[in-house]
Amino acid sequence: MSGYWPWWAGAAGLALITINYALTTDRSFGVSSAWDRVLHWRRERRLEEMDAEFADDRALAEALAAATAEHFGTGPSAPAVPPGAYGTPQPLASDAEPTVSEDAPVADPGPAPLVTQAALLVSIFLGGLIAALTSGRFHLRFDMGPGFHDLVTADPITMVVLLFVGGVLVGFGTRLAGGCSSGHGLNGCGRLRPVSLVATAVFFGTAVAVSFLLWKVI
Amino acid sequence: MRTRGAILLANIITGLALGFTVSNIGFGDYTELNRMFTFQDLRMLLSFAGAVVIIVCAFALLRIRRTPGRIHAGVVPGAVLFGTGWAISGGCPAIPIVQVAGGYLPALVTIVGVTVGIRLCRWANARYFHLDRGSCGL
Repeated sequence: MSGYWPWWAGAAGLALITINYALTTDRSFGVSSAWDRVLHWRRERRLEEMDAEFADDRALAEALAAATAEHFGTGPSAPAVPPGAYGTPQPLASDAEPTVSEDAPVADPGPAPLVTQAALLVSIFLGGLIAALTSGRFHLRFDMGPGFHDLVTADPITMVVLLFVGGVLVGFGTRLAGGCSSGHGLNGCGRLRPVSLVATAVFFGTAVAVSFLLWKVI
Repeated sequence: MRTRGAILLANIITGLALGFTVSNIGFGDYTELNRMFTFQDLRMLLSFAGAVVIIVCAFALLRIRRTPGRIHAGVVPGAVLFGTGWAISGGCPAIPIVQVAGGYLPALVTIVGVTVGIRLCRWANARYFHLDRGSCGL
């Protein structure tokens, strides 16, 4: 379709975004995870407050361990550091997990602050708006375009129902699987995480099957 | 450890770039999406796969840690539900935002559905599934 980027530009853009985020934050980003944390903001804010309190305890324990090691001339052993509210480290954390260089000391940065996840979602909207306006594609409409009209339904009521049901499946499915196309697809597959490779193969394969059904059968 | 301000700035830049890029690739266009999933047009598929290849190479060169991730009981059923919902509604969690930004007002319904599904997952997991971390935001 005219007006869209060639594949190599899209690939370079998505890769740059993912690599830049990993380098600048030591973390992965995941849109479904951002949604999840923003929607449960009360619980997340409480966890952040608890984590801030635990951080003081951790700093004290680490200072004591360092002082002990210096006094007795031994190497720094693993101090009895109390876990944070987020239970760091997070071996099974979802798609917003922290990542560090394998040579770096193990210092888990924890999940990104809640406000940054809200900023991510708002910025996606603004980025999409800028793209639509600058490309001339912006057009306020009450349908989902000719493809949805031809392949899924032309009835407005059915359209609303299917969009809602599809949205519920997306929201439920991404959180159950622990990630979406950004968390598992880009960040997880980019790190060759087995769970992300499996999840991406399954959600992509399912989408292919359902799309063929919509195209050829229904 | 990055400062809070630096992480905020990184997320704003990432969000702007992601929305701009995803929109310009065409992921918000249901017709393009269906053409990708039915292999009628490989452009968007190559964009995604090409990005993954570049990221794998870059992370290997930069020695970004390969984080572990257990394939827990929620992965396959969750991915099946997600794939079905993506093919029907045309939206993964970022796409409906981009669709609304492009003027597709019905995508607001998809966003409502996504938020309901996410909340439903936490509730269902606490009540029925009892899956450990990695699922439903735990």
